[in-house]
Amino acid sequence: MALLEMKHIVKEYPNCKALNDVSLSVEPGETVAIIGPSGSGKSTLLRCVNCLVRITSGEIELDGKIFASSNPESMVGDRKGAQIADKSGNTEAQYLPEKQLKEAVCETGMVFQHFNLFPHMTCLENITYAPIKVKGIDRAKAVSRGEELLALVGLSAKRDEYPGRLSGGQKQRIAIARALAMDPDVMLFDEPTSALDPEITGEVLSVMRQLSDANTTMIVVTHEMGFAKEVADRVIFMNEGRIVEEGTPKEIFEAPKSVRLKEFLGAMLKA
Amino acid sequence: MEYFSLILPSLLRGTVISIELFVATLIFALPLGLPIALGENSKVAPVRWFCKGFVYVFRGTPLMLQLFFFYFFFPIYLNIRWNAFPVAVLTFVLNYSAYFAEIYRGGIKSIGAGQYEAAHSLGLSKWQTFKDVVLPQMTRIVIPPVSNEVITLVKDTALASCIALADLMRVAQSTVNRDGTLTAYIIAAGIYLIFTAIATVVLGKMEDRYSKYEEVA
Ligand SMILES: Nc1ncnc2c1ncn2[C@@H]1O[C@H](COP(=O)(O)OP(=O)(O)OP(=O)(O)O)[C@@H](O)[C@H]1O
Ligand SMILES: [Mg+2]
Repeated sequence: MALLEMKHIVKEYPNCKALNDVSLSVEPGETVAIIGPSGSGKSTLLRCVNCLVRITSGEIELDGKIFASSNPESMVGDRKGAQIADKSGNTEAQYLPEKQLKEAVCETGMVFQHFNLFPHMTCLENITYAPIKVKGIDRAKAVSRGEELLALVGLSAKRDEYPGRLSGGQKQRIAIARALAMDPDVMLFDEPTSALDPEITGEVLSVMRQLSDANTTMIVVTHEMGFAKEVADRVIFMNEGRIVEEGTPKEIFEAPKSVRLKEFLGAMLKA
Repeated sequence: MEYFSLILPSLLRGTVISIELFVATLIFALPLGLPIALGENSKVAPVRWFCKGFVYVFRGTPLMLQLFFFYFFFPIYLNIRWNAFPVAVLTFVLNYSAYFAEIYRGGIKSIGAGQYEAAHSLGLSKWQTFKDVVLPQMTRIVIPPVSNEVITLVKDTALASCIALADLMRVAQSTVNRDGTLTAYIIAAGIYLIFTAIATVVLGKMEDRYSKYEEVA
């Protein structure tokens, strides 16, 4: 059974349709890379998974539980799926109530382009805050797990350092550790290396490669074609709010079918 | 020298009152500014309007006018007699909380959307996000502008002398009027300077303490 099942997702903004009938299903342990030109809806799709963006219509099921749906035949918790219009005329799908939705959000770990570490907490505190305060895990346990994660990303020495003292690559590795600390079912990466100098993207990519090898379920929005080619089990190409083509890295990079993908890959190679 | 020791005790008594006003203002206005700042961003329109109106009025009118207003307001409209000191504290607290609210609001606004997104993704509640993510970062950001206001407050307390509060300024003034020499002013100036210096040092220390996590980019 798929771990994540997104069906016919539409996300409309007042002036544009960021996602236009996107369906995506991710199996446990799979690494999915999403590529596509700027503005094609990659970030929006990823952010729908952890509810930073609320869908206009469609259905999202994570771990066998539907947390948002506009389909009246589906049950969202104990409510029927529906499309709900608010006062300002925006429509969104029926979502689980706040508390249950948070449980779903906690099953996803997000890594941002600009890290978004908490600057007033040390690296270890960044990693242990949510497990302790949100999940209610015992402090000693959270700390020892935090130390394991620091070791995993190769930054044990930075345990008590503040993020302001770290390089970009180090910050991103701490951000990955922070997301992993919640033990999410799926890790979401939104251009994790785009804000980094080219010579230090490698250290972040190698951590991600390790995670992928350890069968972490990952969805990675990336401009690193090399990473998509070598690490992803499946590559998805998006354009103008739709999935235009998907397949194995081999299929996508060596035998692209659509004109748009060929153009895109051509432009990426030149860059 | 003899004259100096003659007038010093009364000046010091005035100083104590000035300090009391200063401390009382900070104790109440520093925290009060926060709910007002949050109210200014509230989704509930009446709350937002009230808080914005409050800030607009108290920052937009002279502190001296506010002092006179409250000094006469209680006896004339409510038929209650208030001493100068509580009136001065009330007025300063309202006035300064409006200034602090504006500073806090700016501090909260300067915290990037990414921090809220990270907090959301980790499942933090609104309250946890405010208390443990927004508030500590806001505190760090607002220390320099708050410090400026605190130092201004040292001097602003002198305005309370206009409603007959026996503070340092008023004592100095009446001494000068009585004796016809400016010595009392000079001593008062010295005392204000000492307090400004102390405030500057203490606030500088706080700033250092909070800047330990600053970006060293
Ligand atoms: N909050 C928003 N309000 C209005 N429009 C938005 C908003 N967020 C995204 N959009 C629009 O939705 C579309 C998809 O944006 P999205 O950020 O998902 O693209 P992307 O593929 O991640 O691009 P990039 O590679 O530049 O990050 C864009 O046209 C964008 O302008
Ligand atoms: Mg994006």
